[in-house]
Amino acid sequence: MSQPSPEVYERGKGMDAHNEVMREIRSRKDRTYDPHEPTRVWMDEDNTPDGVKQSLTIILNTGGCRWARAGGCTMCGYVAESVEGGSVAHEALMDQIQVCLDHEAEQLDDGETAELIKIYTSGSFLDEREVGAETRAAIGETFSDRERIVVESLPDFVEREKLEDFTSQGLETDVAIGLETATDRVRHDCVNKYFDFSDFEDACAEAGAVGAGVKAYLLMKPPFLSESEAVEDMKSSIRRCADVDHCHTVSMNPTNVQRYTMVDELYFNGGYRPPWLWSVADVLESTADVDAIVVSDPVGHGSDRGAHNCGECDDLVQKAIKDFDLRQDPTVFSQVSCECEGTWDVVIEEETSYSMPLAR
Amino acid sequence: MTDYFEVHGRDGAARLAELRLTDPVTTPALVDSVVEDAGSLWAAEQEVPEGSDDVLTVLPHRSFPAGTDERVQESFSVDSPELDAPTASVVTSETAAETGADAYILSNAQGFVGHAAAFREAIIEAKDRLPADTALYLSGVATPRNVSTLVYAGVDLFDAKLARVRGREGMYLTTESEYFLEDLEELPCTCAACQTPRSEFTRADCAEHNVNALRAELATVRRRVRDGRLRDYIEGQARHDQWLTAAFREFDQQYGYLEERTPLVRNSELAAASSDTIRRVEIQRFADRVTSRYRNRFDNPLVLVPCSATKPYSESQSHGQFHDAVQFRAHLASMTSPIGVVPSELELTYPAQHYDSVVTGRWSEDEKGFVASVLQRYLERNDYPRVVAHVPEHGYRDICERVEKEVDVPFEYTVEDHPTTTDSIANLMSTLQGELKYSKRERQHNTIAALADYQFGDGAGDQLFADVDVEMTSRYPKLQVWNGEGEQLATMVPQYGVLSFTLEGARVWSESDAPTKRVEIDNFAPHGSVLAPGVVDADDDIRTGDEVVVEGPKAFAVGRAEMFGSEMAESTRGVAVEVRHVEEK
Repeated sequence: MSQPSPEVYERGKGMDAHNEVMREIRSRKDRTYDPHEPTRVWMDEDNTPDGVKQSLTIILNTGGCRWARAGGCTMCGYVAESVEGGSVAHEALMDQIQVCLDHEAEQLDDGETAELIKIYTSGSFLDEREVGAETRAAIGETFSDRERIVVESLPDFVEREKLEDFTSQGLETDVAIGLETATDRVRHDCVNKYFDFSDFEDACAEAGAVGAGVKAYLLMKPPFLSESEAVEDMKSSIRRCADVDHCHTVSMNPTNVQRYTMVDELYFNGGYRPPWLWSVADVLESTADVDAIVVSDPVGHGSDRGAHNCGECDDLVQKAIKDFDLRQDPTVFSQVSCECEGTWDVVIEEETSYSMPLAR
Repeated sequence: MTDYFEVHGRDGAARLAELRLTDPVTTPALVDSVVEDAGSLWAAEQEVPEGSDDVLTVLPHRSFPAGTDERVQESFSVDSPELDAPTASVVTSETAAETGADAYILSNAQGFVGHAAAFREAIIEAKDRLPADTALYLSGVATPRNVSTLVYAGVDLFDAKLARVRGREGMYLTTESEYFLEDLEELPCTCAACQTPRSEFTRADCAEHNVNALRAELATVRRRVRDGRLRDYIEGQARHDQWLTAAFREFDQQYGYLEERTPLVRNSELAAASSDTIRRVEIQRFADRVTSRYRNRFDNPLVLVPCSATKPYSESQSHGQFHDAVQFRAHLASMTSPIGVVPSELELTYPAQHYDSVVTGRWSEDEKGFVASVLQRYLERNDYPRVVAHVPEHGYRDICERVEKEVDVPFEYTVEDHPTTTDSIANLMSTLQGELKYSKRERQHNTIAALADYQFGDGAGDQLFADVDVEMTSRYPKLQVWNGEGEQLATMVPQYGVLSFTLEGARVWSESDAPTKRVEIDNFAPHGSVLAPGVVDADDDIRTGDEVVVEGPKAFAVGRAEMFGSEMAESTRGVAVEVRHVEEK
């Protein structure tokens, strides 16, 4: 058990301020959402421990993240995609699943289904206040004919009994945990996420106990870090995650600037730039030797609000990253180059948190 | 409290100073090579560095970038350790507070550099929150084009981070623009980097050129600050970017900040070459003092004449002719853009004999409006039996006609064609027919009183010199003031047109009803100069160049202020007052 210390006190103060400010920022939006529609659904290909698979990704609208209602993470705007009033009833959630199945059927040939199902909620699928036991079991049953399922959750809610709803259906089961960084200090103070790396380790052990695995989600370049600090944080985080048993995949994703977030406030006022795609490439390349699948999916790449380079080479570098995701071959990065790599070098060398961003 | 930064010279808010490292750095300057960053506390715990006299150590920091909510800034604020070495603290303009460091870095600079109003607001707020004798450092924002305006606003330290990044982005920076390197057929520079043939010139060379250009511009700026002529430069240089022009105009509208930092007198020329000159402190201050402190003591008519290019006016050919026509039968005042109205007693007073303007005979509405408002206020404050406007058409005459409608005293016009034509001069002579001459003694006495009004406040001329039996010795422009008992009180300094007191004069001043500017010092007798740490307190309205009384338990002295009042009270380094005379108690 942790002892009270000035450090903890400071952390509490910082968290209070972050939450107060984030609540205020979030309160500026007033959109509400239909509880019978998922937030988003799409088809893709994903690299899994069993190879590259056809995937159906579902962002379930469950009423959103409880932590976000308290204030929440400084970069996360997904709470915008929640329903009014909080929770969503079982029937409504099952309606959302049906919309997703219909989407899948439309996209694929007759009789074909995705082998991999990924369910995110912008919160915790395993939190029973978001998704009740009845719904969880029903969803497990719905997808029992697939190979693998990934469900998103904070580490607190990872319990073997809940995972057994999926493993008992013969599904390879993974929990996607938004760890953001292995560095507690950065996770607490820059991201404003309350748990510790040790909680993540515990969740991995809990999942492993029932044969499930963990996919760690990392965030490259939270606010307040310079480009080089962000890169170093990711390199060490990937290594630390890969060293944890049952964490077989790391998804390392650059921050994109979402509306109604603290990051957006900084961005708007000239105090934030999303990471360079070169930084993403550098991290993937230098950690290619770890014993885990490491992937990245830069959202909004090439745009001002997403990870970007100079505008000339963004698509090329993004393509290399996607290629790396599927093949895990670091040599893909030696095949892309651009004059702006020289700019990135100077930024890495010279940008400090008191002179950032040095380039737009 | 700083041991490692010392301000040696001031030009408005700009400062020439020394970062006192083992190898001292004269600032404003780039400090890349002498800065050591102890690291960000956002990323990791950081050890308190030992520091070293060789470098400026940036203390462990939690930097708040532009846009960070103040509540977040407050809750994550860090305590800065005090090191026995040169240090810099990272703060923002919004929540800056003294930490004991020698320099302060504003981590929100990226948010306000480039935005005139926000820039003005941030700099003034930071200066207000931080000790006057510490350095202000903006990291990652300086370019050859903007750095002079940044210095003008009061920034001391810079680095070449942005110049290098821009170079690698293929942007070729100059003091007047930024170019896409690929668009340049030839390189508009001859620095070492630009010796590379155009065809072989890379982005790395471009980055090197950018740094060279930035370094050269800072050298120019330092020269300008030394000469007291940065403002003249800014009025031209800032024209190359709209936000920079807007920025110095924003500061003009924040009169108090610049006024406090602008010296009362200078020995250098003041170039009145742009429409913005009217709004600079020196011009506004002169106009303000002429219309709120100065008082005419002559009973004669007023003759308004045009200014002359030669300074002081009385040494010009045209004014020689006016003088011969007037023959001490009227009080002369010159109308001029951009100064306004210069009564003859103040023709030596800075900047009346120091400015040089661009003469085309075309007056802008701004100039007319300004001179008219000064003339109107002047005539509302001073009663004359008659006003003779011996001024040419265009501008001057328009202004007089405008003011004539607003004041009680009627204007008589005496110029045909040009003020120095035989007819005009004859008109002027005959217009004054029958007016009585004033004596040389009256003229000299009024000059001294006018200077005292201007320098020390409304009524000071009478409060200081009415009760004593004043004698004048030596010739204008070097008048000396003596009391009736053979003791000298003051001398008129012809270079700046101000009075400087003797010890006896300072005593008269100190005991008079005229507002006295006082510097209270510790228990010592100063010889030569009073250093800032010796100052216990100083009046807020003291400006650099002001005459001040220095007093402490051990001494009574008089001298000239080398910094402004609040800076004397706050500073721990530097010369506060150059003492002229001292008496030990």
